[in-house]
Amino acid sequence: MTFWQILGIALLTILIAFITGLFYMGIRRKVIARVQNRYGPPVYQNFLDVMKLWSKDSNIHHGIMQHLAPLWMISMSIATLLFVPIAYKSHFWTNFTFNGDLILLLYLMVFGSLGFALGVGQTGNPNSAIGVSRGLTQLVGYELPWVIALIAVMIQYKTTSLTDLVAFQQQHHTWIAFQQPFAFLAAFLLIPAMFHYSPYDVIVAPAELASGPISEFGGKYLGLMMSSSSIFMFAKLALFVDIFLGGAQNWLWMIIKTLTLYMWPVLWSAISPRYRTEQSIWSVWKWPLILSVLGLIIASV
Amino acid sequence: MNTLVLLLLIFFGGGLLTYLAYKISKVVGDILIAILGLAGAYVFFTVSSQTSLTFSLGGFTLGLGFSEYSWIFGLLLSILAPLALIYSIPYMKGHDRLEWFYMLFLFVIGGMFGILMAKDWVTLFIFWEIMTWSSYLIILYSRKKGLDKIGLKYIFFSAIGAYSLLTAIVVIGGTMRTLSIAETISLFGVLPLKAQLLIGILLITGFGVKAAVMPLHVWAPDAYTNTPMSFSAIFSGAMSKMGIYGLGLVVVNMYLNHGIGSVGHWLAWFGAFTALFGTFYAVVQDDARKLLAWSSVAQLGYIVTGIGIGTKLAVFAALYLALLHGLFKGTLFMAIGAVERQAGTTKFSELRALIRKMPYTFLSALIAIIALAGIPPLAGFVGKWMLYESLITSGHYWVVIFLFFASTAGFLYSYRFLFGVFLGQEEDDYKDVKEAPALMTLPMLLLALVLIVLGTLPGFIFKPLAYSMQGLGFTDISYHMSVLTNSWGNSVSLPYISWTLATVFVLFLIVITWVNHKGTHNVSTKDIHTAGEPPSEEDNYHFALDFYKPFMRSIAPVFKYSITRIYNAIGRGIEDFFEYVRRFYTGNAQTYALYVIIFFAILLLLANQIF
Amino acid sequence: MNYVLNDRESSKIIEFIKNFARKNSLWIAAYGTGCGAIEIPPTMTSRYDAERLSIRGAATPRQADVLLITGYLAVKTLKRVIRTYEQMQDPKYVIGFGSCTINGGMYWDSYNTIKQLGLYIPVDVYINGCMPRPEAVIAGFAKLQEMIGKGEANGWKHYKENLEWYRQNQQRLIKNWKMPDFNW
Repeated sequence: MTFWQILGIALLTILIAFITGLFYMGIRRKVIARVQNRYGPPVYQNFLDVMKLWSKDSNIHHGIMQHLAPLWMISMSIATLLFVPIAYKSHFWTNFTFNGDLILLLYLMVFGSLGFALGVGQTGNPNSAIGVSRGLTQLVGYELPWVIALIAVMIQYKTTSLTDLVAFQQQHHTWIAFQQPFAFLAAFLLIPAMFHYSPYDVIVAPAELASGPISEFGGKYLGLMMSSSSIFMFAKLALFVDIFLGGAQNWLWMIIKTLTLYMWPVLWSAISPRYRTEQSIWSVWKWPLILSVLGLIIASV
Repeated sequence: MNTLVLLLLIFFGGGLLTYLAYKISKVVGDILIAILGLAGAYVFFTVSSQTSLTFSLGGFTLGLGFSEYSWIFGLLLSILAPLALIYSIPYMKGHDRLEWFYMLFLFVIGGMFGILMAKDWVTLFIFWEIMTWSSYLIILYSRKKGLDKIGLKYIFFSAIGAYSLLTAIVVIGGTMRTLSIAETISLFGVLPLKAQLLIGILLITGFGVKAAVMPLHVWAPDAYTNTPMSFSAIFSGAMSKMGIYGLGLVVVNMYLNHGIGSVGHWLAWFGAFTALFGTFYAVVQDDARKLLAWSSVAQLGYIVTGIGIGTKLAVFAALYLALLHGLFKGTLFMAIGAVERQAGTTKFSELRALIRKMPYTFLSALIAIIALAGIPPLAGFVGKWMLYESLITSGHYWVVIFLFFASTAGFLYSYRFLFGVFLGQEEDDYKDVKEAPALMTLPMLLLALVLIVLGTLPGFIFKPLAYSMQGLGFTDISYHMSVLTNSWGNSVSLPYISWTLATVFVLFLIVITWVNHKGTHNVSTKDIHTAGEPPSEEDNYHFALDFYKPFMRSIAPVFKYSITRIYNAIGRGIEDFFEYVRRFYTGNAQTYALYVIIFFAILLLLANQIF
Repeated sequence: MNYVLNDRESSKIIEFIKNFARKNSLWIAAYGTGCGAIEIPPTMTSRYDAERLSIRGAATPRQADVLLITGYLAVKTLKRVIRTYEQMQDPKYVIGFGSCTINGGMYWDSYNTIKQLGLYIPVDVYINGCMPRPEAVIAGFAKLQEMIGKGEANGWKHYKENLEWYRQNQQRLIKNWKMPDFNW
């Protein structure tokens, strides 16, 4: 493929992920509303929110790092998306999937949050800094069982490459979720924590921290944040589907699988109160950790 | 003249010359040390691995000359030393007794070069002691309160290291009838297992002290913190690598290449614990220098783990990380030195929001921290990737979990460092702080540039690394300019990462700057949402104390046990013991003579047991 | 976006789209010190569900579009309201909630509440009643949305143009005026 073809496909991927991600967010709001016996906003509400944020007539920032803050997020989200396989057997939608592996993605996914945290730090808002402190603490918490689960998968299939994992599942018509159920269950339990949805929403906690890290962000900065988080959300879901749920043949399957998977953190968040920070850590160091260690033991013998 | 002798002469002769030069005039001295540093680096690059020098002493042949393996450490030293010396000129301005400081500084560098070019154990030991004692005197140099204790701790552990090194040398000389390092390595296989273990463990203890491996690390945080920062850059960046150099010799060359892997695996576990606990301690520090010191301990843990595992990729990763740790930790110590000089403190509870005042220092610290955290697309990621992949592919997944956990917790102190020093709410106390002089910022920025380049094109450093790996017995190193591959055949192509990130970043930078640029304003850090309450002039809402309290609460059980506490308990026990031992010192020469005879008798009895 | 299309008509279209997005995404910073704040929870939750009309709460003024003043304002709280209002990003709208914001309501003769909110910050929509029921609140929001769609909710521009006048009124009441500079 020529450079322009690759670029065009990448742009198309990003666009689809962006639109899908925003729709997922709208569906989330709708679902939560239905759970609470409300009618809820229209599913396209988040498009309007993003448009509105971009069309603000004034914007403020507290310095260069805050100005750059959403950019770390968006570049991380797009890079992550391009390294995650979307459609197996399609030579069209490969993007950069053959040039990265799981360890890269693990580290790449931190790039954005840490860069964003620097911008947050420059605002001088104590709530934001507290949010970052809690967020990094939670990161340490859920990263441990998540990494163990991933290592279990890696050593069971003797590969660290995502494309290999997807190819294995597609060729053998199976899901790693069935072959390595402990690692899958551990990772599955971690999804709410990785999305920072309730009960793991102590970072933004609107009622106590005034939305924490993003409390000084408004207008175009918040708009770019929302855009990037929609892309990143889709990328994370696609990553999970690729590792455990057999990947996808085409975009349609990918969207069906990711949307179904997405309902788990959404529904769980709709009925959960909020954990304190250390509770959220201990909760992921309990069952998810035990399950993932079991998975690793099974995979290693 | 032989270039090796020239190199030693530059630092040892130059050290004495510097002493005289500073007595004459400070300017002359300043110029002299810059020239000496650069000249040393230049001479190092003219030395080839064939250059050598031998002389015999008391029946043993002693020799000087770089091996393939030691060359890479020399490379690190010759990059870091001149930059640290140049940085030191403005940094140390106004201090008294500079002649002492710089003489010792040059002695330390010369000692390190001496260690690297030593072909036999005796030469190595001599230079080792020169390095140790010079650095000990530098710790005492600033004459602050409480330094005697820190110095004592340092010299005590160094003495443990030195004695075990010396004993090992004696045992080597006794059993193998040679003092040459190369011959020791090649003859190592024929020794009985007992002797192998004894020699190896003594040597590992000796080198492990400098590499700050877990039970022997207690001196490091205090020592790294309490020297002038220009020296700390070398102390933590290069001197700790002398320990790594030795450990590589012992673990890889002596054990692994003769088929003994278990010692290395134990060492790998020690390294993993060092990494984890070093990180935990780094997270709780209030002093930025202390944070960096503990982070050095943690980073050395990764390197030791890589060396201990001993597979091709693991050792490669460890050497790469060793080199890189020198670069980014050098940068960070220089940056915090600049902050200390300009703002007068390095405490997180006092510092805040220096980013506008010291932008270049911030920039280089940011890049170094990203490299330290191992986040793509900078150079740290390359090392982390290789280390993890080597551990996973060789089946050491329990170790890799420790390292992963440590490096995730490492994000905490990485953020804390940047946030506490450079970000947060601005304070009037630091209104007049200025950026450090160019001679201080330039070395930092240069090192930062190296870190950026190596993130995409690590091949530049892979070439000398692959050359050095030959010295460890890994001859068939294949590497690519910018693609990393593990032994399962999975690979990562770095340009794709860095180009994607850079392109998207720049593109959206243009977008976000251009959209509504007329309506975008920069406001002060006092203008924040605080529930409608405008903060007054005196209020500062910077959140710095107990920054990671929730994290500490989560891992509190771990902190009940601290190694320092154990040592203190041992120390109390030893005091009682020596109180008892004192009674042996009767003051009678004949009793002493009796002791000596008894000692030799025991030694003779044991000698048959051991050898 | 106006810089791309200098044509009058196309800039009108852009303005229409912008206003459409603005009116259909109202994030409110509820200033809930007055007793009217008790009417906000029923408005937002299951019974009346303001979110179906694209109205939702925002945590900080930086993110918010609408400042909702729920009821009377003491002189002391007025200062905080001004601060909050000035921290919001343009375009921003104010809804005065309850009779107290119009003429003082039941506090018409109180010595330390303000009688007319419009003197201190520009109010786009008043909601009458003591206190207004959720239906009335939603009707007020609908009115605001209609105004935004037509481009008539320009209180923020008015405030900018008549800053002097507003400042005089504000400083007449607030004696210890120690506020950071206005920044937009």
